[in-house]
Amino acid sequence: MDRYLFWIDRVSAFSGKAVAWAIVALTGVVCYDVGMRYFVNQPTQWAFDWSYILYGTLFMVAGAYTLSRDGHVRGDLWYRALQPRTQAGIDLALYVLFFLPGITALIYAGIEFTKTSWAIREVSSVTASGTPIYPFKLMIPIAGALLLLQGFAEMARCILCLRTGEWPRRLHDVEEADIEQIRALVEGEKKS
Amino acid sequence: MTPGRTDALVSAIKRINFLDVRTIGVILLALVILLNVMLLPPPAQITNQHLGMVMLGLIVIAILLGFPIAFTLMGLGMLFGFFAFHRPGMGLTDNPVFDQMVLRTFGVMTADVIISVPLFIFMGYIVERSNIIDRLFHAMQLAMGGTPGSLAVATIATCAVFAAATGIIGAVVTLMGLLVLQPMLKAGYDTRLATGSIAAGGCLGILIPPSVMLILYGATAGVSVVQLYAAAMMPGLMLAMMYIGYVMARATLRPEQAPRLPLEQRNVPTWQVIKLLVTSVLPLALLILAVLGSILAGVATPTEAAALGAMGACVLALSYRRLSWLRFKESVFLTARTTSMVCWLLVGSWLFSSTFAVLGGQHIIESWVLSFDLSPVQFLILSQIIIFLLGWPLEWTVIIVIFVPIFLPLLTHFGVDPIFFGILVALNLQTAFLSPPVAMAAFYLKGVAPPHVRLGQIFLGIIPFVMLIIVAMVLIYIFPQIVLWLPSVLYS
Repeated sequence: MDRYLFWIDRVSAFSGKAVAWAIVALTGVVCYDVGMRYFVNQPTQWAFDWSYILYGTLFMVAGAYTLSRDGHVRGDLWYRALQPRTQAGIDLALYVLFFLPGITALIYAGIEFTKTSWAIREVSSVTASGTPIYPFKLMIPIAGALLLLQGFAEMARCILCLRTGEWPRRLHDVEEADIEQIRALVEGEKKS
Repeated sequence: MTPGRTDALVSAIKRINFLDVRTIGVILLALVILLNVMLLPPPAQITNQHLGMVMLGLIVIAILLGFPIAFTLMGLGMLFGFFAFHRPGMGLTDNPVFDQMVLRTFGVMTADVIISVPLFIFMGYIVERSNIIDRLFHAMQLAMGGTPGSLAVATIATCAVFAAATGIIGAVVTLMGLLVLQPMLKAGYDTRLATGSIAAGGCLGILIPPSVMLILYGATAGVSVVQLYAAAMMPGLMLAMMYIGYVMARATLRPEQAPRLPLEQRNVPTWQVIKLLVTSVLPLALLILAVLGSILAGVATPTEAAALGAMGACVLALSYRRLSWLRFKESVFLTARTTSMVCWLLVGSWLFSSTFAVLGGQHIIESWVLSFDLSPVQFLILSQIIIFLLGWPLEWTVIIVIFVPIFLPLLTHFGVDPIFFGILVALNLQTAFLSPPVAMAAFYLKGVAPPHVRLGQIFLGIIPFVMLIIVAMVLIYIFPQIVLWLPSVLYS
């Protein structure tokens, strides 16, 4: 079972880390645009379109990656004090009640939305650059589908936890821990 | 405070913890459900507006249950929207809620104000991961060698500069905790003073521009981020000065709590201090000045300034030889996670609030609040108290995207400037990190502190700084010029 769950974690991590690089492109595009405007006095039209395309793709597609690392903010004051079994029960119930309808609706609506846009090969209406934005709209159903997949993995983990009484391992327990990293970073500097 | 009384307070805090959060949670849940049931009329008279209130009650319950809030908002917005929009004879898939959903989502994806958020976050992570703060603190500490409480003062000053380079907290507290807590304790500083100044200083980032919180507030309230930044400058500096003043006063009155550094650590030749300041503080200060200056002067949009800032941070970290490929990669991935968390929360809340608006829930709240016939002052105090209380169990992102929008329509009625209100909220939300039981800053600090530092001590150390924040809010209320002066000079 763990093998399949890790596989889903990897799909999410791969997609998330792939789009994460959009931040570098975004920095580059905006800086290029600023340079062209202030130094050469030739503002670029496409830069603005690309800036929101990069930003939107970044956060939408990284949603599943964030979920796989439990990075979506929770109000966990009470939750944290609960037994793992109770946590899993609550999570599972709310995944079914809120997550599934919400994300399924988003995928459905996103597909309809993209279809319309794709049919007319829609270009940006914000600037006159003619940047195509129909592939950008496709990111909505893609991000939704990735989230749904990760959501199924999370629900499976809830069920496993209900059975065994403890949370199954996640991929990042094996990979990295944030505080430890910062600690290593500071201590490494001290030594050198 | 005598040692006996302090111990009594610490053990009191321990007992509260012992009272079991679970019991408190159950009581809270029961209260919310009870309130909801009590306020509802008999089923036959239930209108859409009441459904809106049920929705608000449910979101509070779901938040208490600890489910990821973005998806709670989405689910509730979608389900209630489905009922609100449903008309007899309408096909299941023709429901306009689906259009609403995708339009709101696309709205967040194309919101040009928010593009600067990932860029500022990226800049912050680069500065954090490359550990520039280490040099900064070292230089500040030497420069302040002679002042009373020099280590704590240097801590707060470093935090203020760092806050101006990042805009997200958490990491600041963790880093500073690792970096300066041990040296301070070794130098004989009082544990409470040391932890309090780290925690409070680390939270300055929420107020001092380029705060991500202010961008989100601007996007939610529909006010200019640039003006918010201009408005936040003076209060941010004022609060940092108040912290420093407090620490210095305490160190002067109770020298045993903050002993002076031994002479050999203080007597560094002046030219060496200046050299350190020039190489470590000056470049970062220039970068910050360029970023903030170009935004405030209207030369660059926040997005452009943020991109240049991120680029500048990379160059700076590279030139210090602190930016390895691994650190760079970590910054990129962490940026994606944080951005995604913030923006999915926005996706959820925009859908939630549009359903809430369609149901007319806002009207109930408005007429309810207006029925008290409050004066503007009473309204301001009441709303800030509510936000202060919400800050105990909730994180600031949640408060900004769910609860602040409820107050916003009321502002016009009471004639409160939304920019002024935003600055008060930003000040107020710092306490959300600092006040128990969900004092994130305290927990981050506890996570990296040596084991003999107890959570109770950290909480006690934080209390005076929370008081200072409240004093700052009162000051700003009495002298609104502190907030409004800079925007009026720049943009009148």
